[in-house]
Parts: sequence; C-alpha cells; structure tokens
Amino acid sequence: MALSTEDLKLAIIEKATKSPKPQLYIKDFYKCDPDSKPRVIKNVANELVREGELMFWSSGSTTMYARPDRIKNEETREDAEEHKDD
Amino acid sequence: MAKRDTPLLDELEKGPWPSFVTDLKRQAEKKPECWDILGQLELSYHDRITHWKHGGIVGVFGYGGGIVGRYSDLPKEFPGVAHFHTIRVNQPSSKFYNTAKLRALCDLWEKHGSGMTNFHGSTGDLILLGTTTDHLEPLFYELTHELHQDLGGSGSNLRSPACCIGKARCEWSCFDTQAACHGLTMHYQDELHRPAFPYKFKFKFSGCPNDCVAALARSDFAVIGTWKDDIRIDQAAVQSYIKGEFPSNGGAHSGRDWGPFDIQKEVIGLCPTECMWMEGDELKIDTSECTRCMHCINVMPRALRPGVETGATVNVGAKAPILEGAQFATLTIPFIKVDPESEFEELIEQIEKIWDWWMEIGKNRERVGETIQRVGLPTFMKIMELEPIPQMVREPRSNPYIFWQEDEVPGGFERDVREFRKKHAQ
Repeated sequence: MALSTEDLKLAIIEKATKSPKPQLYIKDFYKCDPDSKPRVIKNVANELVREGELMFWSSGSTTMYARPDRIKNEETREDAEEHKDD
Repeated sequence: MAKRDTPLLDELEKGPWPSFVTDLKRQAEKKPECWDILGQLELSYHDRITHWKHGGIVGVFGYGGGIVGRYSDLPKEFPGVAHFHTIRVNQPSSKFYNTAKLRALCDLWEKHGSGMTNFHGSTGDLILLGTTTDHLEPLFYELTHELHQDLGGSGSNLRSPACCIGKARCEWSCFDTQAACHGLTMHYQDELHRPAFPYKFKFKFSGCPNDCVAALARSDFAVIGTWKDDIRIDQAAVQSYIKGEFPSNGGAHSGRDWGPFDIQKEVIGLCPTECMWMEGDELKIDTSECTRCMHCINVMPRALRPGVETGATVNVGAKAPILEGAQFATLTIPFIKVDPESEFEELIEQIEKIWDWWMEIGKNRERVGETIQRVGLPTFMKIMELEPIPQMVREPRSNPYIFWQEDEVPGGFERDVREFRKKHAQ
C-alpha cells in the first residue's frame, strides 16, 4: 500500500539527508515508496521545495533536488561545468 | 569596468555582416559589464576553452526552471560577469508581439540585467542574458505582474511549447497550432515550471507537413498537421500554371530564368510515391499513395490545397543535441483530431500515456526517444495501445522492428528458438 503524503514526505527528507550524494534525481526518490506513482512522488517533492525542506539544483538541462544544508551556494560551486548545457 | 582590448574579436567586425562584437561594444556604453563579456570571450579565443560555468540553485521561489545559473571561472579578472544568469521567458505562440511589448521587455531587462538578449532560443524562448541573483525575484515579479508574461522551461521540465505561424497567416495549416500551443502551455503549467521527468521534454506544433517549426527533428512529441481526404485540385489553375500564367512556387525562384514551367518534370516526376499523373488536361492524384510530402502543393499553391478532413500526425522521440546523437521522431499516431473544443483531450490522453511510462522507465538524462530505442518500438507501441501499421516499417527485410507474437497471428506458430539458433549458428 502506498504511503500517506506525510509519510512520503518524511521518507523523501530522510533519503535526501542520508544519501551519500547531496543532490538527487527525482527518480532516486521513487525508491522511497515503490507503491507510489512517479507523479505522486514528484508532487510531494515539489511540495517539499515550497516548504523549504528541499531545493532545486539545475544545470540548465537537468534538475536535481537537495536539502538546503547539504548543497553549496552556487556562487562557489566548482563542478557545474560537468553538466552539459541545454 | 575598464574597456578591454579585443584584437581577436575585432576581426569579427570586419566582414560585411552584422557583428555581435559591434553590438556588445555599443551596449557596453550603457552597461560597462559588457566589456567583461568581451574581455572574457577574447581570452576564450586565445585559450581555446570556455570560461563560463553554469548550473546552480538560482531560481525564483516555487519554480524549478526558467533560470540557468551562469558564472565566470575567472571572477576576479572579470567581475562584471562573475554572476551572469540566463533567464528564459516563454514566448507568445508563434512569437507574435507588437513593438510596445518588445520595448517593455527591453526596458525591464535594462533595469534588471545586462540588456543583452537572444531572440529566440531553440525552444523559442526569449533569452535574457546576464543578471545577478538579487535581481531575479524583482524581475520575475515585474515580468509576471506588469508584462503578464511567464518564465519558460529549463531543466528536467516540459520545455516551452513552440508552434509555427499556423492559421494566423498560413492557408495550409491543418489545425490551429497557436491554440494547441497555448492550450497545452496553460494545461501543463506544473510540468513546465517544476521538474517532473527524467530529462527535458518538448512539444512542437506544425500546421502542415512542411513542418516550419522543425517539430519532426527537434521535439519529443511532434504534432504535425495532415489531412485524410483528397488534395483539393483546381483544374483551371493547373492549366494556368502549365501555360505560365501563374509563377510556380509562388514566384520564390523567379530570380533566374529556369525556362517554361514543366509540370511533368517539376511536379509529377518528383512525386516520391509516383501517385500523380495527367489524364488529358486533368491532373489526377491517388490519395491512398500520397505521403503528404507537400511538394506539389508548394509548387502550385493556387491549384492544389490540403484536403478538408484535417488533423495531425504525432511523431515521438526526436532530439537535436549540440554534440552528437541527433535523431528524428518516429511515426506513432498517423491521424489524430486536434480540437480546441475538446480542450485537446485527444492529445492530452496520448501525452500522458507517454509521460506515465517514461517517468517510470526512463533513466536519468534519457530522452524519451532514447528510452524507446532501448526498450524497442514494439514495447512502446503496446504502451501506447496502438496497432502497428505498414508505414511504420521502413525496410521490413533488413530491419524488421515489428515482431509478431504467436497469439497475434491467426493459427499461431510454433518455434523452438534453441533449435533455430543451432541450425543457424555461424
């Protein structure tokens, strides 16, 4: 049975906090609840962004999610050029 | 910011063509940071490597796209472009706007950014080049509340949908491309502004098979106008072309004497499916063989027109990356109604079938066309609940990508694959 929205939020926050990678693709959150549809997980992840629990990181072509305290300020990032533009 | 010496870039001002270097120097009189763009680019020409970095957490609240962080990797040398973010503004359908709107956009950008623009990006967005993080929210507020425009798509989002000029100016348009583009833009606001997918996803709408917006080559979901019934023929106008009373191609090639118009050589003989012929003075077309290449209509626009039972063909899976791996879209739905009255529900049903599948199966940074290639077209056809048709098989003997299962063939068949492989082992 799929998790409730609140439980899914907690699972996503836990994943984003404990994952070795600070930035995660939306698909990485699918594993938080295999019973939830991708669209549901996307909506919950975006709600967490509005609540300030997650942030978007975008290379321009790809968007990832991260906990605000785990991501460097973009102005000091050095690995942005690893991602292709457009 | 000090004026920079740019001997390499200056070479680009010497030809007879307009030069972006000249434009940048002119803009630098108002916006001195433009000298640092020139200085950094001069250094890039010298070093033969870009000095731009991109990506980051810049954006406006609640939006996961529309702004691309951009930075100099030499911020001390070029402080004017240390932070130089790009803004994508969703263009109006078919890029219709009046000069007052353009002036207002330029004024807004002079206020909040470098004043440099790129009209238009490959998805059609109006690109505003170069601002700092502190200007993003004020710019976004004024853009949306005063100019009533919105940001475009970037990242793993639906990108700004684009369309040809459609019924606004073109008599060949088989559906209202602007209505479809605007309707789906409004319907999919969430997908446009918040990342939803493994990678980018693009819609493009062309009103006829001339495909002026290059949907077939550039979009994941290409909607291209077509018709079901016969090409409409005005036989009197055909005779007028033959007699030279009307210029062929609307006079587009009239800069040179090509000799008298020859319908056999220039139209009938060039039909890719040889479905046209003359019977006495009458032009005949076998519609069942016509592939809607548009050549005859383009050559004799006053004599030939698309049919009246119009809709669109949907092709899925194109991509046009900068470096490598370009691929055309694959014919998926031969004919579909594109109806504003139903709020495009026929298209929406197909789009969401693709999205629901691709969001689950697609790998990170994999376009839907690549996912289709990876799993195979037969699997994709099953997802789309479509029956294969002969037109989908280009070379059945050398590349049979439709495979029949035993239960799909009347009477079935039995085959032991291991025995078959033993027999045919090399």
